[in-house]
Amino acid sequence: MFFAAFFLLGLAGLAAIFATLVVPEWRVNHVFVRHPCIVRDKRVAEARSEDGTLYRPELQIEYEFGGQRHRIWTYDIRGAFSSGQREKQAILDQFVVGQQYDCWLNPHNPSEAVLVRGYSWWLWLSFIVPVSFILIGGGGLIYTALTWGKSAERRAAMAQRVPKLNLDGLGRVKGEFPSIPLDAHITNSPGTTLAFRLPADVSPAWALLATLVACLFWNGVVSGLAVSAVRSHLEGRPDWFLTCFVIPFLIVGIGLIVFFLRQLVVATGIGPTLVEISDHPIQPGKTYRLFLSQAGRLRLNSLELLLVCDEEATYRQGTDTRVESRRVYQQQIFRRERFEVRRGVPFEAECELVVPPGVMHSFKSEHNEISWKLMVRIDAAGWPVYERCFPVIVYPGRLGNGKNERRFRFPAPQKAVKEPDGVVKEPER
Amino acid sequence: MNEPHVTIRFDGNGRVYRPGEILSGEYRINAVDPREVKAVEVSVLWRTEGKGDEDLAVHDFRRLSRDAGEEIDLLRPGRFKTKLPNSPLSYHGVIVKIRWCVRVRVFLARGKEVVGEASFRLGDLPAAKAVSS
Repeated sequence: MFFAAFFLLGLAGLAAIFATLVVPEWRVNHVFVRHPCIVRDKRVAEARSEDGTLYRPELQIEYEFGGQRHRIWTYDIRGAFSSGQREKQAILDQFVVGQQYDCWLNPHNPSEAVLVRGYSWWLWLSFIVPVSFILIGGGGLIYTALTWGKSAERRAAMAQRVPKLNLDGLGRVKGEFPSIPLDAHITNSPGTTLAFRLPADVSPAWALLATLVACLFWNGVVSGLAVSAVRSHLEGRPDWFLTCFVIPFLIVGIGLIVFFLRQLVVATGIGPTLVEISDHPIQPGKTYRLFLSQAGRLRLNSLELLLVCDEEATYRQGTDTRVESRRVYQQQIFRRERFEVRRGVPFEAECELVVPPGVMHSFKSEHNEISWKLMVRIDAAGWPVYERCFPVIVYPGRLGNGKNERRFRFPAPQKAVKEPDGVVKEPER
Repeated sequence: MNEPHVTIRFDGNGRVYRPGEILSGEYRINAVDPREVKAVEVSVLWRTEGKGDEDLAVHDFRRLSRDAGEEIDLLRPGRFKTKLPNSPLSYHGVIVKIRWCVRVRVFLARGKEVVGEASFRLGDLPAAKAVSS
């Protein structure tokens, strides 16, 4: 019903555009005939609208056709009003009253004539709206027709048939571990100390850029309203409705600026955090080596490395889409308190990650997710507590058939580890 | 019970299975006039429960349809058999739950449907609990 209404609305819109814009212009270009006429008068016609006064050029022309004399006001076939009085006057200035010009008239109805013809190509843009309605509505109708009378299971089986055959970059069939996210984006970067350098879930640069764009957009829009409100007060005609309306938006805008500055300070002040792992994906009951590096110039109250698991559920409430998250596992892997990180000498440490047996594997479906990550929690003096997350994929525990053993790995580089106190520590293998 | 209904039984009365194990069993369609049955669908599937919108994925799907010339014999129990996948394992989380089941859907004349469902567990993970972050 919804898609049918969309489709019909699109069709009606398209028909209206054809009837009012396309067909009249086509008639002028293909049916109307050239004929001499004399300009008798000219004026800029006005029409009032919600957006103010709109204008159109009008010329009074006189001509004789089929033994009958006609005197009409005209310019083009659309006869539309628009803003810009000066442009309309400039059009009229091209015509001199009393002079002869060519007009195009309808031979079947000689009282219909225009002074200009051609196509308004910008009008094709107006097709976007009805055509998008037709595409959405038509697509929905086709989908409904294809799934009509089919059970949820049959539709799911039809939808799953194709993706099962795909291979990931490492030659594993995607269907081998259904609903477990692939780890190609995690294992495509070799580490300098251990096999893989884990990517952060959100790159600080992208997060900063996104915040900046949101900040500029919001405050750009709000500042226009704020300027109008302030001007009304300065001119002695205060617009209290606009003022009250704009205040909450201004507060949000200021909040965005503060949030952006905090992000900027944290991103530039707290240096990069690196986490490397000896193998990936990880499995319950197994032990892995981790390498943690924190650069910058910081006096740290504490630095923690945690393994966490979050459940995430996406659901619709009315027209809103909401996401809710719950932490179901948290394990401290490493903690160090009260130390300093000097510029150019990053803090580096290795530790052991023991994934507990009997925990749920990573899982992702359209609206539900179970995600595992290594979280670095930085509590630096003079800074807010800051967390950086590095997603990992947990596979189910060993099945006994060796199927979930990984088949690809970078050679782990050998490198001595230097802690800030000058102690050089050989990595354990 | 005179209402049309479906009963599903797993071989060996199993309810907990390991990934890669064979799940098999039978289903019976009861209290239905055999001439009314248009089609039968048997699915082995998982679906999510909890706070999020429901997701559903079918591991194995069979459809028997009289329109396609297939025989549907209600006198004998129908059989199903499938090798279970490696994942997702059954999971009882805080806001996300994953539940495996065998679902039999019977399509009757005049658009009526009868659905029977039997749950089983893939893997044997303990229930998760919320922890404070």
